[in-house]
Amino acid sequence: MTSLLLKGIEKHFGSVNVIRGVDLRIDDGEFVVFVGPSGCGKSTLLRLISGLEHISDGELMIGDRLVNEVQPSERGVAMVFQSYALYPHLTVRDNMGFGLKVRKVPAGERQRRINEAAATLKLDALLDRYPRELSGGQRQRVAIGRAIVGNPDVFLFDEPLSNLDAELRVHMRSEIAALHKRLSTTMIYVTHDQIEAMTLADKIVVLRDGRIEQVGSPRELYERPANMFVAQFIGSPKMNVLPAANAQLLTPAAVVPASAESVGVRPEHLKVSKAQDGIVRGKVSLCEYTGAITLLHVTLPDGQLCLVTSDDHMAPSLGSEIGLTAQAEKLHFFDHQGRREKPVSDVGVQ
Amino acid sequence: MTDIIHNLKTTRTSQKPWLTLKAREMMEAWLFVSPSFIGFLIFFLGPLCAVVYYSLTEWNLLTQQATFVGLRNFENALLENPDFWHVVRNSVIFALGLVPLNMALALTLALALSRPFFGVVFFRTVFFAPVITSAIAWAIVWKFLLQGEGGFINQVLALVGITGPNWLREPGWAMAAVIITRVIKMVGLNMILYIAALQAIPRDYEEAARLEGASRWQIFSMITWPLLAPTTLVIMVITTIGSFKVFDHIYQMTGGGPENGTLVLAFYIYQQGFKFFNVGYASTLAMIMFVIVMALTIVQVMLRRKGME
Repeated sequence: MTSLLLKGIEKHFGSVNVIRGVDLRIDDGEFVVFVGPSGCGKSTLLRLISGLEHISDGELMIGDRLVNEVQPSERGVAMVFQSYALYPHLTVRDNMGFGLKVRKVPAGERQRRINEAAATLKLDALLDRYPRELSGGQRQRVAIGRAIVGNPDVFLFDEPLSNLDAELRVHMRSEIAALHKRLSTTMIYVTHDQIEAMTLADKIVVLRDGRIEQVGSPRELYERPANMFVAQFIGSPKMNVLPAANAQLLTPAAVVPASAESVGVRPEHLKVSKAQDGIVRGKVSLCEYTGAITLLHVTLPDGQLCLVTSDDHMAPSLGSEIGLTAQAEKLHFFDHQGRREKPVSDVGVQ
Repeated sequence: MTDIIHNLKTTRTSQKPWLTLKAREMMEAWLFVSPSFIGFLIFFLGPLCAVVYYSLTEWNLLTQQATFVGLRNFENALLENPDFWHVVRNSVIFALGLVPLNMALALTLALALSRPFFGVVFFRTVFFAPVITSAIAWAIVWKFLLQGEGGFINQVLALVGITGPNWLREPGWAMAAVIITRVIKMVGLNMILYIAALQAIPRDYEEAARLEGASRWQIFSMITWPLLAPTTLVIMVITTIGSFKVFDHIYQMTGGGPENGTLVLAFYIYQQGFKFFNVGYASTLAMIMFVIVMALTIVQVMLRRKGME
């Protein structure tokens, strides 16, 4: 098991700054997920850790070693690529044993480790097949197997499930979680799928424009987002952000901090009621039925659009007027720069 | 409005087409294919059949008399005419010299020029330009450069104290000279094919191998080279066929000499057909060349398949 320390990591491609001063600590055996919108630098950060890209500035420590100038193969990391990167002309066995072969591990030892990894990933029956003869999920498992046989200190996953269908993705997600539990190795995982991030991570790192917006546990990020970007990025459907003045309309119990400019409330934290029972009324402009819940697009009297989730049996019809109520403790306040404002009650405690 | 839409739908469904959809698609397909197919019939299949027929005749172009002689020409070429085997030997030497040299150089250039760097397009153009240059013009320039006395190459060699041979007039050197100049002319085509193949190999393979500790040589020998196998096969086949068909280069640079040292099969066929007007015999030689090239291609494909398995 190995910890990682990133100090002021920067990456420039010509005049373009892709990573702008990232400071991060990843503890032994932690499962850390990098999330963020496309182009935020999450894959680049992973490639900097792997050594496939050179660090422009800053320091990267893996364990107690400074590895800025260390070759990728000497860093003790293994990577699972989005495309799997399985060599098409080699069998599963040869793919998994490739790294051991080039490192001149004796054939007997090589076979033992391949068989061990194959047993772990239930690949025993597929060892003599070629990648073209495997399904997407099987290929994914081979890619993970190839990473396992090298016995790395750190696993790096670059959007490993994005090429799989929804059902298989859920299955493989649970397999990766189980693998982490079994191996207890430090894992860094890049995804743009927040469900993957929330379900797998011990710690989530939210990135935007090459900077870290927030680091925390999934619950921390969901319940106490550091800013409006994180608040809207984590959680699906995304958080509603309204002018701070609307807080009092959503719940009279709301105590609006003086410098708050916006109030955020998650769609699942708004209670739908009959028009006359709600504190604020709105008109349903779109209903999206998803099975377990219905997502309502509600137009408020001031023209603001608000997303609300509703249980199926409560789902109102299109065009109808409904009442909305929020709980005061579920409101999030942000200042003019989008930073989180501590609720007044928290300030009092401090 | 609803009525109009309803009427339209009814009209669409009630009309029975003159031809079925499949027949119409088939007809369209043949229409598109026909210009090329007609050209193939007139300019390829027709002459090929004619050559097969002429190869069984004794036909002198001057007398315009074609006499059917069966396999007599084949017997003559394969069993009686010592020149034939000398010519085949020259062709094989030419192919054995040209194909490996061409492929090795093409791959080396492709590896160097497949990644972007400043000036890469310039270098690719420089190496590809000879391919589209007139073969005759190319041969004339090289003939001039390779002159024994006063030739540019020998002048350069003289600067470092080497007395160059009379490249195109000495039996030992003439074949080497035509092979090398032909390689320089044609290497650009294979280089482009290799560059395209190299660029089609996903970068992830190399990165995965680097992470696993593979050296540059190991990445090339264990990943890149095997993945280039289909392209290598295509290149090997077309270069081998091209080497057996070489004519213009020999015609201009050596005329088959010295002492028939560079007299290759295609040039020999030309000599028989258009210098000595033995069209029947030339056709026989063409048929033999066709069989040799076909056999070599089949062997190469089989070897490659076996290697891939």
